[in-house]
Amino acid sequence: MKNPYIPELAVIEETRVEAPGVKTFKLKLRHGGMFTFTPGQFIELSVFGYGEAPFSVSSSPLQKDFFEVTVRKTGMLTSALFELERGNTVGVRGPFGNGWPIEKMKKYSILMIGGGIGIAPLKPVIEYVVANRKDYEEVILLYGAKTPKDIVFKKELEIWREKIDVHLTVDIGDNSWKGRTGVVTILFDEIKVDPKETYSIQCGPPIMMYFVTKKLLELGFPEDRILLSLERLMKCGMGFCGHCMISGKFVCKDGPVFSYSQIKDFLESAI
Amino acid sequence: MGKALTLSRDSLIEFIGRLLENFQVIAPVKNGEKVFFDLISDPYKAVIEYEGHTMLPPKRFFFPEREILFTYELKERDVAIYDKCGELEGLRRVFLGARSCDIEGLKMLDKVLVGEFHDPYYKLRRERTIIIGLACNEPKEYCFCAYTGSGPYPSGGFDLFLTNLGDHYLVDIGSERGEKLVKYNIDLFRTASKSDLEKRDKIIRSVESKIKEQSFPEINTIYEALIKNFNADMWKEYGELCLACGKCNFVCPTCRCFDIFDDPNFDLKSGKRVRVWDSCHFLSFTRVAGGLVFRKERPSRIKQRVYHKYCYSFDEIGSISCTGCGRCIELCPARIDIREIVRRVVEL
Repeated sequence: MKNPYIPELAVIEETRVEAPGVKTFKLKLRHGGMFTFTPGQFIELSVFGYGEAPFSVSSSPLQKDFFEVTVRKTGMLTSALFELERGNTVGVRGPFGNGWPIEKMKKYSILMIGGGIGIAPLKPVIEYVVANRKDYEEVILLYGAKTPKDIVFKKELEIWREKIDVHLTVDIGDNSWKGRTGVVTILFDEIKVDPKETYSIQCGPPIMMYFVTKKLLELGFPEDRILLSLERLMKCGMGFCGHCMISGKFVCKDGPVFSYSQIKDFLESAI
Repeated sequence: MGKALTLSRDSLIEFIGRLLENFQVIAPVKNGEKVFFDLISDPYKAVIEYEGHTMLPPKRFFFPEREILFTYELKERDVAIYDKCGELEGLRRVFLGARSCDIEGLKMLDKVLVGEFHDPYYKLRRERTIIIGLACNEPKEYCFCAYTGSGPYPSGGFDLFLTNLGDHYLVDIGSERGEKLVKYNIDLFRTASKSDLEKRDKIIRSVESKIKEQSFPEINTIYEALIKNFNADMWKEYGELCLACGKCNFVCPTCRCFDIFDDPNFDLKSGKRVRVWDSCHFLSFTRVAGGLVFRKERPSRIKQRVYHKYCYSFDEIGSISCTGCGRCIELCPARIDIREIVRRVVEL
């Protein structure tokens, strides 16, 4: 019987600083096997001596000989992770969860909305869409960060701009910032979407998702095409530990991607 | 399964003695005034008659409060992992004296932990443990298993099931494993008479009618009422009362929420990955990175337990996940009574 609690070992091949307190870790499985996942899925990452925590995979699903996670330093485990460097070994379980419906979204337009580090679970979709651009209609990314410095994937954003429509905003600008200032919902005035032909996918702090969802409903998006990636502290990934249970559903195995039509029927508010 | 048999009191002791030669035996034992399940080495230590149920359910013998999942050793550019599951492979246990509610509780846990995914630690212990149940002769005032469908007699889930008929025990066989156990020790067993069976049924009926002296709503009406009353004022009242101590979770036969963390050794080069029981009443339970807590208010946390037991559980395992054992009622320091919560919610 395979023990699902035993992590596979992975080596850190590279670390990249994305923003203050945000790093991307490029990982390769030790045994040399391929890592396949669906955009939006997450892994449980072990830092031995500190435990395990869930992180969205942030690399392209087309890349199978390595994968990446983009992490914001917030606690003990992430602080320990930030001390690790190329060549160090971590543990990996997963991928877990359902992920974004990349196949179903084909022939549709996609409106992506990311807030803060919430752009990490969107990145694999963006990479996938950029690589298969013809399969999708209009693709728009709205991304809000705290300050210009906090914008992650700066290099990638420039590449993506050539293929998709990118709109940025920051909560607090600085002298060099020429773009918009304000919460991510202000970007809606820059775009034109046909709600009947568009999937909206979002990830960010609950408060952002609350207002974005409200906006999308106002625009007339069908409830089942408003997709959200929820955050909870999934400990096991298998629906056992109970931490991610919302109203009878488990973020780890029924999610993390839910449609608004699902979460609106939750007894507890999901966001 | 097979026909029913009987065991005299002396034969039962002899039977336990023989089990001890081949198995680890867990049985009810006295600890002060209280009865607990524990490993025994002496058949006379087993308390075969006790009121109601033990202080703690059998859960911890299958899903311990603290479990080392694996140990690790950091090496130069490498990590060695030693899976603790291997140690369970050789386990051979008999769990003696489980009540109907105990057995039904394990069956509810089975549906979660050996469902879509398998928890290997739990699964191995379950597979390698023979269950010899023991009928309840005298319910406690907190017992309501007859309403939750968990008692007084279990619907399967045992290898053997004993009913104390006074001077001897009726033995029902519930599995091939149980049948084998009887076959190997057939010298100890006698064939049950019709009156033995009637006596057993009478005991079960009497326990059931004692439990049913108090009222409890229809299970299906509870589900509907909970859906309707998620924002009722009464939750605030219970939020005020609840100390958020988590005791109800820890004494519950079906609560299984847990936390996982690393426990490094002093050399900081090796350590253990540990799983410990957690509680939905704890503030930390829904904390995510950055410190946001989803269930900050106590009413939301007390609701989580009640809703999980009587509402969400239908989604999860197709039934409620409360055995009606009443341990959470008996041991709550704030005297919160889940029966009362449920009665009130259906009255709203």
